[in-house]
Amino acid sequence: MEASWSLPVSSLDATDPQLQQFVEVETQKQRVQLLVHHMTELCWEKCMDKPGPKLDSRAEVCLVNCVERFIDTSQFIVNRLEQIQKARPFFSESLSN
Amino acid sequence: MAELGEADEAELQRLVAAEQQKAQFTAQVHHFMELCWDKCVEKPGNQLDSRTENCLSSCVDRFIDTTLAITGRFAQIVEKGGQ
Repeated sequence: MEASWSLPVSSLDATDPQLQQFVEVETQKQRVQLLVHHMTELCWEKCMDKPGPKLDSRAEVCLVNCVERFIDTSQFIVNRLEQIQKARPFFSESLSN
Repeated sequence: MAELGEADEAELQRLVAAEQQKAQFTAQVHHFMELCWDKCVEKPGNQLDSRTENCLSSCVDRFIDTTLAITGRFAQIVEKGGQ
C-alpha cells in the first residue's frame, strides 16, 4: 500500500506529450481511488456500529468528521515529523533503514 | 538516451535523490498514519481535540523510541556475538 501512494510518474519521451498527459491523469485517478477506498475502510470501522435499514444522520456526521479528521491527523503527523527532523537532522536516516 | 555532460548528470542525480527523499518522507507519514490513527482516534469529532493531539504526538515519539530501542538491542546482541 505504501509504495503506491508515492508512485512517480515515469519519465516519458518528451516527443509524446499526449501520452505523458494521459499517464499523469490516469495516475491521479488511481491515487484518488486508492484514497477513497482506504478512507472508506477506516471510516467504516470508526463510524458504523450495527448496519441498519439506512445510513442514519449520526453515521453520516461521523463519516464527514472522519474524512476531515483523517486529513487533520495527516497534517499533524507531517508537522510533528518535520519538528523532529529539525531537532535531530540525521535522525530520519536511521528510521528509514 | 542522450549522453549527459558531467554537470547535467550531477543535476539529474541531485533531482533523483530529492525525489527519493520526498517519497521516503511521504511513505513515513502514511506509515505513522496507519499506526496512530487506530490508537488515537476513537470516534471522529468535529475537530482534533487536545487529548487526540497529545496521543498523536506521543504515538510518533514512542514509535521512534521503540525503533531506537530495538535497533540498539540488536546492535548489542550482534556486538557480543550472540551471547
